[in-house]
Amino acid sequence: MSPSPISMPPSSLVADDTTGDSVLQPFFVLHKALPQKCERKAAGSTRTRRKIDLPPSSPKSPEKSDAVASSVGPNDTNYERLRLEAFNMTWSKIDTTIKEILTRVHRSLFAEVHQWALESFLALKSGEPRNAFEIQSPYPLLDDVICKQIPTAMILTKNAEFVDDMLTFQELGEHLKSKGCHIANLSAMDFCAKDGIAGCLRSLLRQLVMDAPDLADMSVLSSWYCEPENYDHPVIIVIDDMERCCGAILADFIRLLSEWVMKLPVIFIMGVATTDTAKKLLPSDALQHLQSSKFTLGSPLERMNALVEAVLVKPSFGFNIGHNVAVFMRNYFLGHDGTITSFVRALKLACVKHFSMEPLSFLGIDILDENQVILYLLLYSWFSYMASVMHYLTLCLNMLLIFHLLKEALIRGKDCTNSRDDLEEGLSDLRKLLKAWSSVILCLYEVGKHNKIQLLDIFCEATDPTLSSLDPSNHKLERSFNGQNLAEGRELPLSSLIKLLDLWSIHTEELCEVHGEVRELQSVVKSSNNGNNLKERQIDCHRMSMSLCAGRTSLSVNGKAAALLDYMVRKFLMPIECLCFHEIICFRNVDILQSALIGNPRRNIQIDLMKSTTYMKCSCCCSTENVLSPTMHDTSVMYNLAQEHGDLISLQDWYHSFKSTVLSTNKLKCPLQHSPMSKKVKSSPSESEASIQARFCRAVIELQIAGLIRMPSKKRPDFVQRVAFGL
Amino acid sequence: MAGDEGTPQTPARRVTRSSSATPLKPSLVTPNLLPPPTHPPPQESLSTEPMSADDLLALLPGRKSQILEFLRVIGPPNSPMLPALLYGGPSTGKTITILHVFRLLRRRFVYASCRSCYSPRILFETVLNQLLFHRRSRENGYSSAKRCERASDFVNLLRDALTRAITGPRDEKKKSCSKEGHGDGIGEMIYLVFDNVELIRSWDKGSEVLPLLFRMADVLKTPAVGLIYISRAMPDAYYSMTGSVEPISIYFPDYTVDDLHYIFMRNQVNQKLYSSFLSIVLKPFSRVTKRVDELATAFDPLFMKYCEPLTDLSLVPDEAMKRKLFDHLQPHLTASLNEIFTVTPWSLVEVAKERTSKRGHIRKLCGKELFSELDIHMSTSAKYLLISAFLASRNPATLDAALFDSTGGSNNRKRKRKSTHTSLDQQDDMAEEILMKGPGTFPLERLLAIFQCITSVMDCSVEEDQFEDGVLTEGSNVWLMSDALLQLSTLCNANFICKSGNFQLEGSTRYRSMIDEDMALKVVWRGVSTFHCRSTYIEDRFPICYHGFGSLICNNWTNGSQLLKLEK
Repeated sequence: MSPSPISMPPSSLVADDTTGDSVLQPFFVLHKALPQKCERKAAGSTRTRRKIDLPPSSPKSPEKSDAVASSVGPNDTNYERLRLEAFNMTWSKIDTTIKEILTRVHRSLFAEVHQWALESFLALKSGEPRNAFEIQSPYPLLDDVICKQIPTAMILTKNAEFVDDMLTFQELGEHLKSKGCHIANLSAMDFCAKDGIAGCLRSLLRQLVMDAPDLADMSVLSSWYCEPENYDHPVIIVIDDMERCCGAILADFIRLLSEWVMKLPVIFIMGVATTDTAKKLLPSDALQHLQSSKFTLGSPLERMNALVEAVLVKPSFGFNIGHNVAVFMRNYFLGHDGTITSFVRALKLACVKHFSMEPLSFLGIDILDENQVILYLLLYSWFSYMASVMHYLTLCLNMLLIFHLLKEALIRGKDCTNSRDDLEEGLSDLRKLLKAWSSVILCLYEVGKHNKIQLLDIFCEATDPTLSSLDPSNHKLERSFNGQNLAEGRELPLSSLIKLLDLWSIHTEELCEVHGEVRELQSVVKSSNNGNNLKERQIDCHRMSMSLCAGRTSLSVNGKAAALLDYMVRKFLMPIECLCFHEIICFRNVDILQSALIGNPRRNIQIDLMKSTTYMKCSCCCSTENVLSPTMHDTSVMYNLAQEHGDLISLQDWYHSFKSTVLSTNKLKCPLQHSPMSKKVKSSPSESEASIQARFCRAVIELQIAGLIRMPSKKRPDFVQRVAFGL
Repeated sequence: MAGDEGTPQTPARRVTRSSSATPLKPSLVTPNLLPPPTHPPPQESLSTEPMSADDLLALLPGRKSQILEFLRVIGPPNSPMLPALLYGGPSTGKTITILHVFRLLRRRFVYASCRSCYSPRILFETVLNQLLFHRRSRENGYSSAKRCERASDFVNLLRDALTRAITGPRDEKKKSCSKEGHGDGIGEMIYLVFDNVELIRSWDKGSEVLPLLFRMADVLKTPAVGLIYISRAMPDAYYSMTGSVEPISIYFPDYTVDDLHYIFMRNQVNQKLYSSFLSIVLKPFSRVTKRVDELATAFDPLFMKYCEPLTDLSLVPDEAMKRKLFDHLQPHLTASLNEIFTVTPWSLVEVAKERTSKRGHIRKLCGKELFSELDIHMSTSAKYLLISAFLASRNPATLDAALFDSTGGSNNRKRKRKSTHTSLDQQDDMAEEILMKGPGTFPLERLLAIFQCITSVMDCSVEEDQFEDGVLTEGSNVWLMSDALLQLSTLCNANFICKSGNFQLEGSTRYRSMIDEDMALKVVWRGVSTFHCRSTYIEDRFPICYHGFGSLICNNWTNGSQLLKLEK
């Protein structure tokens, strides 16, 4: 990234958000380089020599944006501040929405788990009522329970990656705590083989007992439970990632707790990816102490649908993403990471980049508010008048600049589709179109649900500017998901059609033109449905013909619905990027996002080593670009030299070439200043063999620490191996 | 702290009567939240109603000889005893026998289970706390009576505590409850019971603690202490460590089928119904295990199933009904025999989901496809990585070049096809051998190489499709290669791939795939086939690799891509 003043504040923003998250995070640093296509193909044949082909330069887009920025001159800190504020506002809105959405997705599950916990608690204490004396006695109770089982909720996360679910389990814990249960959150860290069973017991006690002694003894817990305020509430132990625990320790823990479960109502809640992991992880004598019930979290795709609907489809934030970015993020989610967390992070990065790069982005928040726009327009006319009067008022100039930008955007918008000259109309059109667009997408999604089409796919489809539905001759539309949806709509059975129309009428409430038609269609369908019911009561001989008739009507109704959808799609499904003023709210620069999201550290380390001169900017070696000079950093010299070798580098050769590089340029440079005699005298004490060797060793170790080479093996003691994954 | 004399009423009486007698602190008895002692706890009831030896024998079926022997070992009150070791398999009634006997005899004992007391310090302090009548509470910061970490300290403290416990309470008792009339006998002997002694062997300091415990009688030299060890391991396991008086060992054998029948029949509401149930299940299950706890966990859900057709559970079943119930239970019986752990859905919604998925499964079975949904969400690159790991684990490394090298394409295949019977047999043998050996380990480099081979082909096909298909854009092929290492750690965390060896910078870690064929097929079927892959590639490569599996993958793969084309 070019260190422009614009990009500074967002970077600090990114940094501060990471502290809020949990300790375990998906980190983006370890991603591998993007291999060039040609390079990868060539890799099969010429494997021995791998050279890095350096990228031509940093991505073009920042430069372009810089150019735009500099032409308008938003270097002014006022703009920066405005945009920063706008970003803070927008992101905090989006963030709270996302959190709400995710908790809403899990609300029913939480209630269910609580119900289950209560029932199992009642079952546990159903026997004889215990008194404090019994609970604290060290020996097992003499009752007739043969095998003491701990109630266990196995919560299927349905996700190989557990990052998304950590927050869910925390929330579940808080939910149960608010209902009066004792909660202890244990993680796989507590069940590591090093600490043994003491580790998990200690962290259990620490979370439950306020002034716990350092000795993690179960009798402490039992005495704690006998305190009047703790008594008679279940003790729920939440383990969010059971797969990652050490099996032996977890088994010990279960066996130990099973000795106490009759006295202490212990209940487990475990997050597992699949049900049979418990079988793989635990021995049978621990398993038999678990009385497990199964619960299922919403799948990541479900959560993703809810999230996309709330954040991207509903136009309430003044921020959206373009087609390229949407496709990028979809691929990122499906192909690469698969976590909501990283999707949200990508979204945030897009948001940061948008607000830092788009000069007008601070208007985004207000653009959906009609009054605000009018205010802006009034101000515009006033300021333009004032500016003509008082030329030196910088404030006025600034404001004028804003509206100049607006105008410019308007003029740019002229190129894409039908635009108005008038600023006000353009903005209100954008507003209206966005609303219509989102309701049509939701309608499409309702149809797509029957075919398990994800909202994100529809969103990607709908934002594609090449699919502009306004062009009637566009055949691409037919091939797309939307086309599929249309076909789907024709085949729906009557009952689901009724449901579908109900949902449509909710979605299109603000879209008056379509809403009427949906209502009409609804009444038609309902009447035909009633008719069907009536007809079914009629006598047998009529049934055949009647059912045929009914089939025909429903078919025609389906056809009508499909036609309506088609009409909606053609009329309103205009991709955001085809609207004028879309720059204000729409982020389209996929390259920036990509480079920000996938910081290729491995590749970058190598590139930096190769081109250390660009960073050092010293006078001695910048003149000759590809020639190694002794003034360069040793590690850099070494790495450049290593490029001449294959996978295996002979230490001998490497050392000699290093030595000659270090010394050779001395020969080049020194004669200019000194006589050969003095050079010899000078170089021999400074560059002794030992010091060169020491420098060599140090550089090798640095390369090893950077993960670029591997130390000599026993088989080949004088060869180091290059570690190059795909590069 | 020891012996709260201030509460002469109920707690003090408990001191005298109940065996391990720790007086309740007043603060703990008074709170209203605790269940009021409406009826006395079982311990009290047992001690108030005099319990005869016959009751004891009836309570513990099949343990008559062991009980009698144990009674003989501990002898009459106030008589010193030799240390005793009770051993036998898990769930053979060792602990419960001891507890019941002491309750019957109303003798004082101290109990410490080496499972709950998982370290020497906790074990020592638990014993001392019980001897000193110390109770952890918030007032004393949940601390124990004496801090005791070393074995030598323990011996000293124990000696002190014992002398105090033996002499102290007797005076008290004479003061407070002389009315009971047998004051002089009880309390002389204190028995120390150590349960699960075999676990000590795996402790860090087990080699020190175990000899100490077994030599306790010699060390303490107090005749008023009886030592009882309960162990799952044979006495031989401890001989090498003792070098002192060998404890008298009492063996608890497994229960016989009749005993089991008797045990399970206790406390059943509908005796007839349960006995008819037991007549079906007990025989086959007791052949697998005779552990009461395992049987109990297996029987509970089965009995629920058994009773499902019945509306009235108090019904006495006749022959026809029994047959009907048997028919109902039959299909679940073998499944339950093979299954040690079942996760049952709890809510109705989950049950409904389960049913629909089962129905879907059956439908697929009819259509010859056996792959149910992959019920876990993974990113595409993780799926490819999982398949690569599976292939690397199941194929010998020597085959890799032939399978994945760019030169070993179709020519190679033709050569293979022409191969003679003998070489085919050899291949079969090799495949079988690999199958028998189970999944092998592989280094990271090999995994990545295979992964790269698979994904590079996917990229090609994707590129071809891009011209027609607008959905996949140029960004997509990059993703598969993007962060294999990150995905690998995810898969390791989810236990799909396991890591062996220690991780160093040198990278000598080896991996092993943990998934079975079904899972791999599911991944292939559900995940990978959605990406259009060139069938020719698959035909080239997979029929040779790992034989049966390879061809299966290949078939499904090609089927998948064909289906996708048809869908279009």
